[in-house]
Amino acid sequence: MPVTQPLRRRRGILGALALIAIAVGLYWGLIVAPPDAYQGEVQRIMYLHLPSILAAYLSYFLVFIGSCMYLWKRERRDDILAHSAAEIGVLFTALTIIEGSIWGRPTWGVWWAWDARLTLTAILLLIYTGYLMLRSLIDDENRASSAAAVLGIIGFLDIPLIHMSVYWWRTLHQPPSILQPNKAPWENIAWPLLIPLLINIVAFLLLLFYLLSLRYRLGEMRDEIRMHRLEHSL
Amino acid sequence: MDLLNQTLLLLWKDLLLELRRRESLLTMFFFGTLLLFVFHFSFDFAPDKVAEMAPALLWLAFLFTGTLGLTQLFQVERENHCLDALLLSPLDRGALFLAKTFFNLLLMLLVELVVMPLFWILFNLQGWNLLPQLFLVTLLGTVGFCVLGTMMSAVTLRARARELLLPLVLFPLMIPVILATIRCMETIMRAGDLGDAWSWLRLLLGFDVIFVTVGILIFDRVIED
Amino acid sequence: MEGWSFVALAYGIVWTVIVVYLFSLKSRYKKAQMELSALRSAQAISQNDKT
Repeated sequence: MPVTQPLRRRRGILGALALIAIAVGLYWGLIVAPPDAYQGEVQRIMYLHLPSILAAYLSYFLVFIGSCMYLWKRERRDDILAHSAAEIGVLFTALTIIEGSIWGRPTWGVWWAWDARLTLTAILLLIYTGYLMLRSLIDDENRASSAAAVLGIIGFLDIPLIHMSVYWWRTLHQPPSILQPNKAPWENIAWPLLIPLLINIVAFLLLLFYLLSLRYRLGEMRDEIRMHRLEHSL
Repeated sequence: MDLLNQTLLLLWKDLLLELRRRESLLTMFFFGTLLLFVFHFSFDFAPDKVAEMAPALLWLAFLFTGTLGLTQLFQVERENHCLDALLLSPLDRGALFLAKTFFNLLLMLLVELVVMPLFWILFNLQGWNLLPQLFLVTLLGTVGFCVLGTMMSAVTLRARARELLLPLVLFPLMIPVILATIRCMETIMRAGDLGDAWSWLRLLLGFDVIFVTVGILIFDRVIED
Repeated sequence: MEGWSFVALAYGIVWTVIVVYLFSLKSRYKKAQMELSALRSAQAISQNDKT
């Protein structure tokens, strides 16, 4: 069934909204907002970092929902949702790590530190990259979808456990340090810094949904192509 | 309970096969021992450092040995379409999951029972009286490994590059277990008992309970012909 | 100011990556669209032949 014009138009509107929000977020975050009293200009990276990780977590939640629904009802749309959300989740997770690393260089003096947040993000990246690899390495489409769904469920359920274990590991044995890498930079955030943060969060979420809608449609088309090929090879 | 009977039946079948063919247990045992040797050559230890590194090295050895067992786990069923036969039968697939998990668990426990004292001997460690506690912690960690490992093994059955893919998807998920077991073992070796590592033990138990439950619930959907 | 160079680096990389991904997505999308319409018209032709 060909995609109807209203759907494409809605996606276009979503994209336009995302673009506007991003533009406002950039302007506010880089120009209007004052530099942080302690961290200076570098703090502006947080306007990318926090929205990115939120977008990633939301994506993985969607992977979880899609995976559960797929194992339950076996409807194609749930599998397509899970796959699309995983791909975009990996994108945002990779970005989060890059942003965290760049933020860390002037703050802690190193490009990488095994602090709780960066480590956790890296683990997330490993899990969901594994998800994508799993899908691509199984040739049978149905098996690939089922396999991925299992990983999508287990991976998401594991996240709180991984959170706990990594945080305990980093806080119980970390010697007290002046820089305190485990202290979240957005704790005790002042109002002038909160507004650009919120704007950027909205912007990233809009971007997430826009990319998701595109990727989802792509998944639907690929499914249809596959169906066509199957029918006509018989 | 019917589930229990089915599980025991399937488990018995696997054990009998293993006794006759002896492919998994011996390979795992020798591989685990080989790793200990390699570790000894790779790390040049001062005697006091060994005790610190012991839990980590042991667990590395167990992880790799266990992965070996996992890739073999459904090997028997793959031959002669046995898996199709099993799935067509009225057996509860949850029973298949439990049986396979227990089977791998038994294999790993047997290997660990031998490798741990061997490790103590090869690396000249003290504190032999701590081994029972350490083994208990290892047991809990191995349960977590086998539960997730069995699911991932089933799920990657028909994947290309399966021997690489299995550890690739499994190991990141194992991180809570790895951290919890090693921290518990470190505390035991350092302080003589669990002490402040109790929360780690609870995490480990929680992990096991959660994923055994999830496994039983969804294994139905996991394994298809 | 040293701070700004890190900010520029971060923002630069992030938005470049996002734009690149968007382009890759759109190109995959177009390819799929073309393939799909080709398949559909081939199907329509073969159905016409049958009737």
